[in-house]
Amino acid sequence: MTIREIINTIFLFLLYLTLQILIFRNLVLFDLAFCFVYVACILLLPAELSMTLTLLLAFGVGVVVDMFYNTLGMHAAASVLLAYLRPYLIRFQAAQRGFESRIVLSIHEMGLRSFFYYILVLTFVHHFVLLFIEANSLMLLLPTLVKVFFSTLFTTLSIILIQYFTKN
Amino acid sequence: MFELFQFIARSRNFILFILLEVLSFYFIINTNNYWSVEFFNTSNYYAAKFLEWSNKAKEYARLREVNAALAEENRRLNRQLVQFQQSNPKGQTSYKTDSIFASRFQFTVARVINNTTQHPDNYMTLDKGRADGIRPGMGVISPTGVVGKVKLCSEHFSVVTSILHSEFMISARLTRANEIGTARWDGVDPRRMKMLYISRNTKVARGDSVVTSEYNSTFPPGILVGRVLRVSESPDQTFHDIRLLLATNFSNVSFVYVVENKLQEEQDQLEKQIEPIKK
Repeated sequence: MTIREIINTIFLFLLYLTLQILIFRNLVLFDLAFCFVYVACILLLPAELSMTLTLLLAFGVGVVVDMFYNTLGMHAAASVLLAYLRPYLIRFQAAQRGFESRIVLSIHEMGLRSFFYYILVLTFVHHFVLLFIEANSLMLLLPTLVKVFFSTLFTTLSIILIQYFTKN
Repeated sequence: MFELFQFIARSRNFILFILLEVLSFYFIINTNNYWSVEFFNTSNYYAAKFLEWSNKAKEYARLREVNAALAEENRRLNRQLVQFQQSNPKGQTSYKTDSIFASRFQFTVARVINNTTQHPDNYMTLDKGRADGIRPGMGVISPTGVVGKVKLCSEHFSVVTSILHSEFMISARLTRANEIGTARWDGVDPRRMKMLYISRNTKVARGDSVVTSEYNSTFPPGILVGRVLRVSESPDQTFHDIRLLLATNFSNVSFVYVVENKLQEEQDQLEKQIEPIKK
């Protein structure tokens, strides 16, 4: 990891957390689609970062977001799960595309298609866990699933759009 | 023993993952735990500061709604106040007001969508009409003072004769001197008005407030019309020449209350009966 990458990562955290807390927290489309754009903090961490550090960072991000949502634990739990599953998907995608020495997680290096799948799958897992923890029962199964579906789309599109605007 | 350490070293990430998840779920299930109550919520000093700061920007964008809400609240308070005042008339403790009379005034909030101040006869348009219960003849006041009287109503709009109109007169009372006269616009400056028929032996000082009197059925008594700006008298006149500074700034009136006097019709009918007798 170079100094440049570290600075980039810090900037990434600040950008997505600020966006989440200031803007997307107030943005809910039709009471259905939530946008938890902060998952990009964890998703876009450099792939070779150690697992331990990734888990701790994810927990930290989750707690900070929880603080602003007044739901201590929920975002943290979902984010830690996300961080734990992330390397498996990266490895799976790398295996599919053939061996590459170094994977850079960005839309410009991966191409829109695989980047989109990467974001979509992990965002879906995160939102699924988060919204079901929040619903706290299987009574609202169908409404929650609808919410998960639309929120996943909304978050994925937001992250990809933001990627286009932050090239470096 | 060595194998145990090896196992821990090998699967340290999995163990960390499980630990963090257990911790998270402990927080979720124990919602009243010390950590979430004391530190990690939006009442946290730094979080609260941050939100306050972001709220400032949001508030600015929401000024329109905030204004509407305040106007609505004022409407409610105005009604209560008038009702209260009317059920406790000053100085007459033995006299008990009829409760229907006391609560005869009803307020409706409306927004001014068109307004003139430059013409000799000025009107303004409100965004509410007959559908909202507004009828010609109702009084219109703003949060700061008297505005005018409803002249015409369509289904969803109404036109108000503002007090900046050559034929508009209000029965007004000088609060300090307790003297009743008539306030009228002279057609020049939309911030000034004239007060007529105050006799020369009344003491009038600059800054005295002038309010609507009890002798009109359109406005609730005690609504501010303006303040005395200048008092002068010419030797050949029986009355003071009083100039008022209007309480309402007509150039930026945005929300007004339309006042309905539910007993006005009854009062007018009764008073009309004596007109043939007078002749």
